[in-house]
Amino acid sequence: MQRRTFLQSLAAAGALGTLPLAASAVANGGVSVEQLPPLEGDITLYLGRGEGGLYENVLDAIRKRNPGLDLKVRRGSTAALANSIVAEAKAGVRRADIFWAVDSGAIGLVTEAGLARTLPADLTGQLKAGFQYPQWAPVTGRIRTLPYNTKRLSPGQIPDSIMALADSDLSIGWAPAYASFQSFVTAMRLLEGERATADWLRAVSKHAKGYAGELGVVMAVERGEVDLGFANHYYTLRLKSGKPDANVDLAFTRNDAGCLVNASGIMALSEGDLPINFIRYLLTREVQSYLASEAYEVPLVDGVAPPRGLPSLDTISPPKIDLTQLADMRPTLDLMRSVGVL
Amino acid sequence: MQPLSGVRKYRGLGLALAFLTMLATSQASANGEIGAHVNNLKEHLDQYTEEVSWLVGKFGGVVDTYEKQGKEAAHSDSMIEYWEEVDFHAAIETHYVPVYAKIWQGIFGVKQAIDNGASIAKVREEQAKLDRALWQALGAVKLAAQYQQKGLLAKVQTTAAEPTTAPETLEDIKHRLDRVVAKYAEQLPEAATTIVHDTYLQRFEGVEGALIEQDADLVEDLEKDFNVTLPKALEGQASVDDVRKVVEAMQAKLDRAKALLVKAENNRKDVF
Repeated sequence: MQRRTFLQSLAAAGALGTLPLAASAVANGGVSVEQLPPLEGDITLYLGRGEGGLYENVLDAIRKRNPGLDLKVRRGSTAALANSIVAEAKAGVRRADIFWAVDSGAIGLVTEAGLARTLPADLTGQLKAGFQYPQWAPVTGRIRTLPYNTKRLSPGQIPDSIMALADSDLSIGWAPAYASFQSFVTAMRLLEGERATADWLRAVSKHAKGYAGELGVVMAVERGEVDLGFANHYYTLRLKSGKPDANVDLAFTRNDAGCLVNASGIMALSEGDLPINFIRYLLTREVQSYLASEAYEVPLVDGVAPPRGLPSLDTISPPKIDLTQLADMRPTLDLMRSVGVL
Repeated sequence: MQPLSGVRKYRGLGLALAFLTMLATSQASANGEIGAHVNNLKEHLDQYTEEVSWLVGKFGGVVDTYEKQGKEAAHSDSMIEYWEEVDFHAAIETHYVPVYAKIWQGIFGVKQAIDNGASIAKVREEQAKLDRALWQALGAVKLAAQYQQKGLLAKVQTTAAEPTTAPETLEDIKHRLDRVVAKYAEQLPEAATTIVHDTYLQRFEGVEGALIEQDADLVEDLEKDFNVTLPKALEGQASVDDVRKVVEAMQAKLDRAKALLVKAENNRKDVF
């Protein structure tokens, strides 16, 4: 980091030092951007391809608010950028100061390589219990759900155990080639074991219909092509936003991979306060609320309201799992191939 | 050689094409080295004109040979070699893919007619289509050179740039669909299908969530196009013209999607 940036960052850190951030976050529904110091200096962000321009809007707003910040962005698929960061480190170069990944699996790849800085406790303390990691900050979450056709099923007909769906006679829509589905299977593998997961995949595949993506799954559920499906929560919320009378609603399993809450996340790769303070901007109540209302993502900072149409995260019982373990995708893909669903 | 009027005939169309090209992100050629010439079209217009004349002559020679000596002597494969030999190939491929696709379609139109032992009248008919595509392409490149000279065309990149907004993403999708037609016309259906799948997963998936809030039926239509209609056309025996019709219908829907998303973006709340 340049001397000028370092000095400015020190000043910023001093300003932050006067704020009991974690405490104010809980009390006020997240830290406000008004409480943060200006960002000044040069910084390079590696940004995983994400939510159709809304992350770009956040970056533009941060730029606009911080004219002294020279933010450079390299974009690409999250997995490719994670691999680049690791490869660059092996080659003895570091081009990225921060990495904003759309899935936590890629985060795991970088943290396991020892490239992420430890974050200050007052920063991680703003996040909900279960989402506090020392070396990365989840930004927003997405919940695995069971979208179901409201004309064909009532909530009482839907098992609250993901494993029980294998033995049900419900027709199911799924997208096995989809990355979020594979993360969900990885979680199942870690929680239930290889054999149980293989049996589950085999059994479900007998009454499942495949789709290319999970929006396709939700739309098929809505049309009544299948009774229910496996999909991230936001597809259903967005469909219902565009089509309020859509025949689809959300059900949740309990304490298993079926209601896994996965997250996008950000980490600091270079020293100095600028990367850390940049991360603070993403955890402000303004950014968290924006991503909740515009992208239907789940805010992970304590006290920020969830998107409309989604129950509070407190009422959902996601499994206890270290999200960075979801990076271990290869055994999942091997398993899915071995049972013929990929 | 085609008279100058042959070029003028397509000038109006070329103008529209070039405008569209300006909006699209220029990308690397899939058929090998691009060459620095594509970012300096004006300097190479004489060369391109010469190459098009040369191609028209060479293709005509193949057809003449077929007429006089039959299909074995015609060596129809040589048409592909001639086309891959010229710099003009990269010039049109990087600046207007729809006409590039028509050239491949024309080449295979003549080649297959010869390989199938069609009547010389039929082969000449296909040859005329190919010649028209070549002159049309030259017209488009000449116009692109003018825009390039005025600084109105983006520099052709050797690596594809990531679109950052929904409207940019939709334009990129349209451009990729043009490449689908080009690959299919080049008789590479698997490559065309791969582009469709990648475009769906890497591009359309990123915007369909926002789009479904605006028009769920439009998303339903495009989902079907990406996952059923277009792949089926590519897998089957559809003609290049039929595949082009599917793509053009998708592009019209993508234009509607773009208008909806631009409007939605204008109404979106501020972050701070």
